[in-house]
Amino acid sequence: MSGAEQASAAGCGAPAGGVKVKDGVGDQAVVQGHVSSGGSPVATGYVRLLNSDGEFVAEVPLGEDGGFTFYAASGDWTLRVLAPGGIRADQAVSAQTGKITELELAV
Amino acid sequence: MSRSDVLVDADWVQSHLGDSGVVLVEVDEDTSAYDKGHIKNAVKVDWKKDLQDPVRRDFVDRAGFEKLLSERGIGNDDTVILYGGNNNWFAAYAYWYFKLYGHHDVKLLDGGRKKWELDSRDMVTEVPHREPTTYHAQEQDRSIRAFRDDAVAAIGNLNLVDVRSPDEFAGRLLAPAHLPQEQAQRGGHIPTAKNVPWAKSAQDDGTFKSDDDLRKLYGDEAGLDFSKDTIAYCRIGERSAHTWFVLHELLGQANVRNYDGSWTEYGSLVGVPIELGDGK
Repeated sequence: MSGAEQASAAGCGAPAGGVKVKDGVGDQAVVQGHVSSGGSPVATGYVRLLNSDGEFVAEVPLGEDGGFTFYAASGDWTLRVLAPGGIRADQAVSAQTGKITELELAV
Repeated sequence: MSRSDVLVDADWVQSHLGDSGVVLVEVDEDTSAYDKGHIKNAVKVDWKKDLQDPVRRDFVDRAGFEKLLSERGIGNDDTVILYGGNNNWFAAYAYWYFKLYGHHDVKLLDGGRKKWELDSRDMVTEVPHREPTTYHAQEQDRSIRAFRDDAVAAIGNLNLVDVRSPDEFAGRLLAPAHLPQEQAQRGGHIPTAKNVPWAKSAQDDGTFKSDDDLRKLYGDEAGLDFSKDTIAYCRIGERSAHTWFVLHELLGQANVRNYDGSWTEYGSLVGVPIELGDGK
């Protein structure tokens, strides 16, 4: 496995904030960033990754710093933020193999 | 069986979380969420440490399950309410265990931890003290568990439901997109499997869709033959436990088995057939 912390082969869950990229991106297509509201991190909430058909692909709970990380594939995706108070916001993003795409999302 | 026998909503939990005879259990792979805050009076079960065999790839045996529940202060007659993160994947997996080992009264909190959090309901860090019990489990109910030979034998004969994302099903990704992509096993799916991603059975907030919508999803749209037996699988068996719950517990389908070896086993087997490409 290149470019990322070894995730447990036994597990399949999404840790808060996602699995952080270590030692370079390798051949992964990483989409990561932070969610904030009024300048403060949104620590309770979720980001969903939807494919170009709008179908659900993955979800991570936000980290303490409002952070999230996905390992996608090259192509167009949508990020959907869900947070308490009925917050729901979509953001389009393009991912590319061998690249980390960074986003700062304000909701 | 009706929905209320197997599922409770957040309001129900809110008003029963102090009842004797009701035990709330948060189940997760990453239990740091529990440590930061959980529903009042909920005890913690670690999917990896508590439910998996530490050496072999299998889950805890009957004696191990008895020891776990006894230590957590869960009695045979208690109503157990399971919930967790990841849209209840691991809670659904634990639910399947409780049924495998014959616990009578177990339910899922609809929407799990996510729904509770999005509702801004109270969470606490205090860990409840429960007196140990002497829990007695039954022999495993094999009628709800499938092994690799069952999966191979089902090709072209039974309903095979692959509940992973379309990209995992097609072979473009080897793991959910929140994880780094592995190279160990081959990509693709078991031939003749229908791809019904687990997420199609739930709303954005993690609660299950209505029975009518679920029947349409698996029947009309995916083309499952409800008169046949069904095997559900994913990558390691927890997302498919979620779908097993939908088909067996919510829709009342008989003979639905969860293949917990799932793709990490099947995709590493020598000589078995694999199909590539998108769902048909």
